[in-house]
Amino acid sequence: MEGSVNLQLSSKNVGIFEAFSNSIKPINLINTSIELVPPGKIPVGVTEIPFELPLRARQAVSPGYPGLLETYHGVFVNIMYTLKCNMKRSFLNKPVNASCQFFVQYRQQEAAPLKPVRCEITPASIRAAGGGTRPMPHFQVYAEINSTVCALDSPLTGKVTSLPPPVCLVLQHSVVIQWSPALQIRVDECSVPIRSIELQLVRVETCGCAEGYSKDATEIQNIQIGEGDVCRARDIPLYMVLPRLFTCPTTTTPHFKIEFELNIAVIFDDDYLVTENFPILLLRSK
Amino acid sequence: MPVYYEWTSLKKSKRFKQDSPSFAVTSYPLKTNVITIKEPSSSSLIDHLNKWSSGFEEVDPLLRFEQMNAEEDLNPLETEVIEGVNYTKAWNSRRAGILNKYTTGEKLTIVSSYLPGGEKTLIRQVSNLNEKVKHRLEQLDDFDEGSVRKTMGLSQQEFVTKINLLNDEIKKAWETEQRVKAFKIGIQCSKLLSDINVMQFYPSKFILITDILDTFGNLVFNRLKEKSFGNNNLMTIHNIDPRTVPESAKETCQNWMYKMASIRELLPRLYMEMALLKCYVFISRDEIKPAIKRLTTMIRGIGNPLVAIYLRVYLCHTASKLLGKDSEGYFYENLKEFIEEYQQIFLTSMRKKYETQLLTQDKYLNLFVPALDWLLFGTLNSNKCKSDLLHEFIQKCEEIENNELFLCCLVSAFDSPTIIKKAPKILEMVHSYADKMVMMNEVLASLGEHLCKADTHRQIATESLIQTWWKIASNMKSTNNFLQVLEPWLQFACTHLSTQHVNVILRGTIRYMIKCGKPADEFSGNFQFVIKRMLKSIPDVEELFLMDAFMPLLELVQTSNARTMLAKTVLSIFFSRYNSVQIEDHIVISSLMRLCCILHDSINAVTVEDESKICGELINKFIQAVTYQDDLERQLNFYVECRSSFIKLDTVLITLVHAVNTLAARAKSTRGKWLQRACAAYCFVTVPSLHCTLTKTQLYLLSGQVALLNNCIGQAEANFKALIGLIPDIPDYILEDGQKKPTHVKVAGILSDFLSTLLLLPDNVDSNCKAYILTGFIKTMERIHWKKTEPLYYNTLLRTLDLLCEMTQDTYIHHLESVLSNDQLYGSDPEFISVLDRHATNICQELLVVLKMLGDNRETKKQYNLSLELFWRVVRRGELNERPMLSLAANLWMLSQKTQDSQQQTWEINPRFIEKRNKPQHTRFTSKAGRRVKKSLIILRPQLVLFKICSIYKVSRLL
Repeated sequence: MEGSVNLQLSSKNVGIFEAFSNSIKPINLINTSIELVPPGKIPVGVTEIPFELPLRARQAVSPGYPGLLETYHGVFVNIMYTLKCNMKRSFLNKPVNASCQFFVQYRQQEAAPLKPVRCEITPASIRAAGGGTRPMPHFQVYAEINSTVCALDSPLTGKVTSLPPPVCLVLQHSVVIQWSPALQIRVDECSVPIRSIELQLVRVETCGCAEGYSKDATEIQNIQIGEGDVCRARDIPLYMVLPRLFTCPTTTTPHFKIEFELNIAVIFDDDYLVTENFPILLLRSK
Repeated sequence: MPVYYEWTSLKKSKRFKQDSPSFAVTSYPLKTNVITIKEPSSSSLIDHLNKWSSGFEEVDPLLRFEQMNAEEDLNPLETEVIEGVNYTKAWNSRRAGILNKYTTGEKLTIVSSYLPGGEKTLIRQVSNLNEKVKHRLEQLDDFDEGSVRKTMGLSQQEFVTKINLLNDEIKKAWETEQRVKAFKIGIQCSKLLSDINVMQFYPSKFILITDILDTFGNLVFNRLKEKSFGNNNLMTIHNIDPRTVPESAKETCQNWMYKMASIRELLPRLYMEMALLKCYVFISRDEIKPAIKRLTTMIRGIGNPLVAIYLRVYLCHTASKLLGKDSEGYFYENLKEFIEEYQQIFLTSMRKKYETQLLTQDKYLNLFVPALDWLLFGTLNSNKCKSDLLHEFIQKCEEIENNELFLCCLVSAFDSPTIIKKAPKILEMVHSYADKMVMMNEVLASLGEHLCKADTHRQIATESLIQTWWKIASNMKSTNNFLQVLEPWLQFACTHLSTQHVNVILRGTIRYMIKCGKPADEFSGNFQFVIKRMLKSIPDVEELFLMDAFMPLLELVQTSNARTMLAKTVLSIFFSRYNSVQIEDHIVISSLMRLCCILHDSINAVTVEDESKICGELINKFIQAVTYQDDLERQLNFYVECRSSFIKLDTVLITLVHAVNTLAARAKSTRGKWLQRACAAYCFVTVPSLHCTLTKTQLYLLSGQVALLNNCIGQAEANFKALIGLIPDIPDYILEDGQKKPTHVKVAGILSDFLSTLLLLPDNVDSNCKAYILTGFIKTMERIHWKKTEPLYYNTLLRTLDLLCEMTQDTYIHHLESVLSNDQLYGSDPEFISVLDRHATNICQELLVVLKMLGDNRETKKQYNLSLELFWRVVRRGELNERPMLSLAANLWMLSQKTQDSQQQTWEINPRFIEKRNKPQHTRFTSKAGRRVKKSLIILRPQLVLFKICSIYKVSRLL
């Protein structure tokens, strides 16, 4: 069993040359092996060999070792766990190998306390934030997020079946759909027609080491929640299902960080765009 | 063999009139029973149709549609056991209604990557961040799956075809395991619903596209079902237990949900989730209701009110399919949401949109009606108290601006009793908003419809309602709307108020119509509806004609076409509703006369045959119904007037002749000859203007008979003379219902009827020839062009022979009271008899010629029959003591025997026939012939007797 974090520097933040040369050493998370069957003969036919492997973090902790992390495939950060099975055979025969990736998810934690966020977006607030050089229409948008701490949840169930030869490992996982927390937006006033209101989920991956660090934001989901000139002074629910493959709990380690942000974008009819950013914390919880 | 046989008729001994005991009876087998069969209205349409098509093997198309409907209703899969209302059925009926109502002639546009044809256009989607990158990515995508094509300028029909094509495409893709493609088609279809470019087609488009979405939803559902339970058909949405669903099916279902949740755009995401809503049963039943609730609020994000409300309709539709009765709460929720967003409908941006599409505001608002109707339908089915609900809604109405749309839908959605209770309030509201209300006509019209259903016994302030209504209605600007509103309210007035009130309204209507400046012809359609409604609803139809405003109202329409239509409507409804058989009132008669004249005047050379037939029928009904009771003179005058008015229609003239004949027959007892002569003259003058010769002869005969009955000999004779003159002109075939039909049966009937009437007709003493009319007839027969071998010809001759023989009798077998027939006129004058015998001889001669011709033509059967017929006449009516008669009889017998060989089978029948018919005669005959035959032969069977005749003949020849 092997687990590692692969990091890659983005060419945006550092030079291309560095991006190639500075391949950061993968961080090993777990590496254990056991002998399933002592040397001997396997009878003809299907032989199932049951096995059990404890999934445990390393005891001897080196500095910067993050412990076990959830499986994650990102652009610059990859956290991967694989099972490898190796059967050594007698002289002149090649060893038989089989490998299989498996997914690791955290146990469900207790629900975190809600951290509600409210904000009002007005021309004044945007100017205060430093944007807004051109004249803006008059508007007032009120947004509310029940909690910036959100839960993703997925129990892991596994079943391993081996068929010699070849050895085959089957892993199944099932995910209960977890809805994101309730969010709301309300357009109180707006002097120009609105074209669209969108909700954007952005992932920020930060890779860092002694030489420097790169920070990269990727849009992983963008959904529309308001189409056309919506009714004023009405609460419109913001609602998004977190995509399974592109999210994981917010992770912070000395070498890299995976964080998430929400953007609420209001696009006016003349393509004028107003956004508001909320960092959110994703947790594997109930 | 002598060629010439002189005919001598047998003088029958006077028969004794036997006085049998007799008593008066009221019913006897021959009495004509008038049975009026009224079509029971309860019998189902199918039975009714079956009656007509049972003879065919193929079910006729109309019936097939009906059966299909019926089957659909019975289909156990379709009828889910829902207590209360069957939403599927309600939806289907509305669905059809929408498709029929909302159509367009505008060009439509469809955007899809799965349809062939269309120009290649890359559609850029709305996006915000790094738009460039996204656009490039999209372009890359497009290379994969064929570019998105935009097909413009489609007609409605083409659009529907394309949509159906997409529907098939989804199924095809699904079957070929391309499930993602099916999913994408679904998304693209639902995206089409965000396009409101041709607004008046939007509701229909919605229906078409949601059908596709339903198809897609069913495909997903069925596959998940199959994955879970195999081919177990017993599982339905209502009994699937998520706990029994295997993990893999759940997983698939969730994948669908994730896929759906990541659709970028809001509208397709919502539609797709609704389509997949029922799949939640595989995961957890508890998810459904929160999901519906969530969707209800998410629809707020749709800015366009039209798109949003139809989205709500679809949500409620899927919810009702899934939850049945439980879904009614969601209808209410959605309705409330809609009311919250109500003002969106009247935004200036929307106004600009529909104005650029050249829609008027009422048309635009009408687009919302079916949707709102559906939401209200579900809301009303919930168990809430309806009057409370209405109260609540009406209060809402008062609060919001531009409330007409909501009010209109409210009035049409609620049931009548509830609305009637609130009617004054609603009317008052309409009154106060009257000047700026757009859909006022709809509100008033449906309010009127409700009031029409009101219980007559219930005390409602009818008069004040009508007064308020009239205040509003008389100020309406559009005449069409006015008429639309007038229709139900007039019915209400008719059923609930006195005729005076109705009359006042009618007068007001006339005033309004005149004031509006435009001729009423432009609104003749609506106008006709109003009149129709009034005719149908007024308790006593006759009263309508007694109102002084009714006829002027009808006269408002000027063009002849519209007038005719109106007259036809009024007359047909009048006659269908008029209870008594006769019309006596003079005002009514003159009004109807006027309408009939309009109807008649519309007929010209180019009128279709059916059209004039209908007109004729209506006028006939009128003529038959009018009665002046005992004032027969006036009645005749009426008929005279009718003749001059309705001269173009043959059927009417026929009816008139019949009517006048009836009148003449009625006049018999009461008045002097004057009226009867006038009647006879009327008929005699009227008949020639008809076209059909056959009808003319019939009517001449009838009129002659009636005249004879009234002892108007001169008139009768004139009629008969005219009849005889017509005989050569009768065509062999007449056109009846577009088919050529031979006339000979009818002609034969008429002629024999005529001949038997002639027996009664006293001879014209002034003329120099005896049996004046009969002679004329015989002469006509001589120069007639009929083929001599035709049965019609020789049968007529045979009958004439019969008549001639009967006329020689001392006392005729029947008489008419007060008419002096020839027996009394001539008292068997030998000169008269000899004339008759001469005629008989000639006819007999002619018949022999016919016999010979038949022989030449080898028409043995006919020859045989004729010879026997003639033989019997000779035997029965001829004086066999005369030598020529006897020899004639014998010859005829020989002839028939000769032909007997080829007629073996008829021979077997014949004796019995003879036996039946001639029993009394043959005994007489044998007693006369028996002078030379032994007495024992008398009692022999008839055929033996016949043989005897032959032997007698031989004997006599030897002598």
